[in-house]
Amino acid sequence: MNKRHKSALGIETLDEAGETVKESIDYANTLSGCKYADIRLGLAECKSASSENGTPKGMEEEVKISFGVRLVAGDMPAWGYYGQPLGKADLRRLSKTFRMGINKAHQRALANSRNKAAMKELAPSLSPVRLAPIEVRQDVIPAVYEEDPRGVPLKEVLALAVKITKEMRAVSPCVKFAMISLGTGISRELFQSTEGAKIDQSTALTYAHLYVVAQKGNTIPETFIDHLGEQRGWEITRGKNVYGKSALDFALERTRDTVELTGADFLPSTDEPVVVVTDPNFNALLVHEIIGHPTEADRALKMETSYAGRSWLLRGLTDNELGKRIGSELLTAFSDPGMEGYGYYKYDSEGVPAKRVILIDKGIFKGFMNGRESANIMGMEPNGSMRATECQYMPLVRMTNTVIAAGDRNPEDIIAEVKDGYYVVNNRIPSISESRENFRISAQKVYRIKDGKLVKLYRGGGISADSRDFFMNIAAVGNDFKLFPIPNCGKGQPMQVMKVGNGGPTIRSKARLTGEYK
Amino acid sequence: MIGIDELRNCVGKGLEATKKDGVELEVFASWNELVTMRLNYTSDIPSMGVQEPKSTQSFGVGVQAVFKDKGKVTIGFGSESNNLGPRAVREALRKARRYRFFDPDFRSLPSPAGTPTLSNYHDPAAMEAKDTDIVDLGWKALRGALTAFKEKGISKSIIVGGDVCVLKEKVAIKSTMGIDEFDESTILTATITTMVENESVKGTGWSTSTHLQGFDPEAAGREAAESAMRTIGGKRIPPGVYEVIFSRQPVTDLISHIIAPSLSLSFLNASNTPFLGKLGKKVCSSNLSIYDHGALPGQIASKRITCEGLPTGRTDLVSNGLLVGFLSNHYLGQKLSNPVATFEPRNGFRLHALGRDHNVQASISPTNIVVEGREEVPKEKLLSGIKEGVYIGRIWYTYPINGMAAGDFTSTVIADSFLIRDGEISTPLKPNTVRINSNINHIINNVHSVTKEKKATLVWAAEEAVIAPEIRVAGVRLDSIATS
Repeated sequence: MNKRHKSALGIETLDEAGETVKESIDYANTLSGCKYADIRLGLAECKSASSENGTPKGMEEEVKISFGVRLVAGDMPAWGYYGQPLGKADLRRLSKTFRMGINKAHQRALANSRNKAAMKELAPSLSPVRLAPIEVRQDVIPAVYEEDPRGVPLKEVLALAVKITKEMRAVSPCVKFAMISLGTGISRELFQSTEGAKIDQSTALTYAHLYVVAQKGNTIPETFIDHLGEQRGWEITRGKNVYGKSALDFALERTRDTVELTGADFLPSTDEPVVVVTDPNFNALLVHEIIGHPTEADRALKMETSYAGRSWLLRGLTDNELGKRIGSELLTAFSDPGMEGYGYYKYDSEGVPAKRVILIDKGIFKGFMNGRESANIMGMEPNGSMRATECQYMPLVRMTNTVIAAGDRNPEDIIAEVKDGYYVVNNRIPSISESRENFRISAQKVYRIKDGKLVKLYRGGGISADSRDFFMNIAAVGNDFKLFPIPNCGKGQPMQVMKVGNGGPTIRSKARLTGEYK
Repeated sequence: MIGIDELRNCVGKGLEATKKDGVELEVFASWNELVTMRLNYTSDIPSMGVQEPKSTQSFGVGVQAVFKDKGKVTIGFGSESNNLGPRAVREALRKARRYRFFDPDFRSLPSPAGTPTLSNYHDPAAMEAKDTDIVDLGWKALRGALTAFKEKGISKSIIVGGDVCVLKEKVAIKSTMGIDEFDESTILTATITTMVENESVKGTGWSTSTHLQGFDPEAAGREAAESAMRTIGGKRIPPGVYEVIFSRQPVTDLISHIIAPSLSLSFLNASNTPFLGKLGKKVCSSNLSIYDHGALPGQIASKRITCEGLPTGRTDLVSNGLLVGFLSNHYLGQKLSNPVATFEPRNGFRLHALGRDHNVQASISPTNIVVEGREEVPKEKLLSGIKEGVYIGRIWYTYPINGMAAGDFTSTVIADSFLIRDGEISTPLKPNTVRINSNINHIINNVHSVTKEKKATLVWAAEEAVIAPEIRVAGVRLDSIATS
């Protein structure tokens, strides 16, 4: 850490908690029938401010502490969990609080195990919990930043937020609403397991979340919501981010785009596929929904059927797309928590070292992101993809920095080669079919391409395609790879909203245009 | 567990101890616990049955304060977790003072307004339910589904998912404006999805209650299995414009993701609603009315008070096709009220993932949204006269694809759906083969008829319950998907 935290409660507070976590995990190991347990203890210190239309709307500095216990016990081993937020007062009674949580998780695991055994005849596939083995690690990972979030005065955060929305409003009288929330902070998480794992990992986070609405006369208002952020320090707001722009310049660019769109025609839909060139920002959402989610092993194993659906890549353990062609030779995709981005980490929430997972290699489907339990079911090596948004929640398989790999084409050439087509720019909202075998994703802007040139701007448009068709039709992949922050990936019950990284290069394929409803 | 008396004591003594500071204060304390049994059974893949038996809980105090320094009014908010003592209130107030700022849109803290109508509507038995008993409820849901499949000779290619949840909430609030209220609620939900994968069918079942008595996860599991089996043998339909009956889940999905947000002052404040400038005007079929009612006895989203300490109640939103109101909290209601329109603050809630939460300030959340027809009909009459149509039982990923203000939305039909021929439900519709591409204004302006029978319905991650009828809509565009 390059600066000491001024507050009494900061991530350094956890320096003294490691021994209590160790004692508690040792206690868990003594409980009847306990096969495995882990404890996560996290503390996040963050300062944030928000502004609307040039006026302040809130500011605060908060310290969030929470812990979670996972425990496997019983004759037919089953899971039991417990989690809760903590307050400053709890730090004096951590040992007692941990034991209460462990005991609750243990009781649940035993009750769960008894029920599982009793149901075995009616439900023959019920199985004991088995975790794929891992190399147990002990490690300390510091946060990475240039400008320590803890050294940024809260008033500076608020002042920047107010300045930004004031300038957004000044862009045009058409701007009806300008809002931003800015935040910067640092978090630390301790992980220990009955297997001896001991991970101490810290990360920084700085973000700007933007919301702009513009309206020309009585026409339909144009809205846009976007996000700037990295797991880094306050330097993010000064331009050290994927856009290479300060938070102010980023906000003003998005505002000008939104104002420009109020004068654009709505995109017409097509019944048949047309040539589309999708930019890296649009592809961030495409890869998120159509490659990232269906390659999460828990989803593929049907665990999300009731919520966000299944995966078109796995019908069954022996009937799936593994090793088969699902896209053109130009399509390679991977998930890499080692890259800088919202999906960066060194160890996942099971203490498994993070690593790059090749998902699609030259069009051939290669594998899933997984956790220890799902890896065991699939007969694969754990690849460290389990994460929880806060320690009180249970880890799930989450995409990391999940991307389409760069190709070798100049993106301008990819557009220039199109005689008649559309250029789809910046992602907006997705809608996905149940197993993600089909999608409709809207864009901020769509341009008509005629004889290699952008000739007309449209609003209210996007594309729709069957996933396999879109991937098989990829005819060009650019060398302009970019990784974007996606702040709001929802999964689980109760829903956990996770930050992930998604991106890719410019791509040319075919899809139906989806425009204004008529 | 924290008792309601402890919460009331916290806000009472906390206010007493801090009001000498000469500021206007609102002290809010909460305790809540969410116990979740998440199911996952797959007949052809090793599975756990109840995958995640878990809970999380929180408690603490939040303070909203108004400071007056030399004629300048500033406001601030602070909170303190896992502590309900006087020190916690003082610490939260210290934070509120430290983070205070001038907000030109702030008028005042809420004042008392009427008397709450609900009392003692929570279930002490649910509040005290043992962990192990709730684990058993999860297994009962699974048993219900698997027994129904077994009775029909289906034992392979089965998926059973979903969850059984028990949410326990307690809040107390006291302010220098005279508010002194408390609330306790229990919400029990079982939302079960089943599939017979090799038949590509999915079914849904659910049970909701405010009390353990009457809560039946086993029946929800059974309903989900029976619903899936009913749609075996589904057929595709060609793309086109159809007469459609939206069942309760699709009605709820449309309300939760498109209509309720559009009828909130949060979206009106941002000029981001298809109903911008339409208050008092006709916005839909005169056969349609929509209101929010947070004080309906027995409904799972009912509350005695809002998290601003105000009585819940009925807020008419659309009445016989006319737009007559918006969901409001105190802050935005004051900001946006004008000589011709006022907004009653019946929907100011501090909801977080785990329920009513002291850590957040009140924003606008729906409660029970009731959808009614002016002339309601039995289901048979809804079908009457449809020569060729589609009964849609479950949709998914319903989003305002071109922004909320545009009203365009899309979603996929994923389960529980059938073709309608000559006024009767006929062949099942093959799931995941149809995408709805439409506009919410088109849907609500083409309501043909609405059923009398309604049921409280939830969709994933939504805050509200929709007391949903089935609705017949003319001229809905349906496109074919997943043809490759």
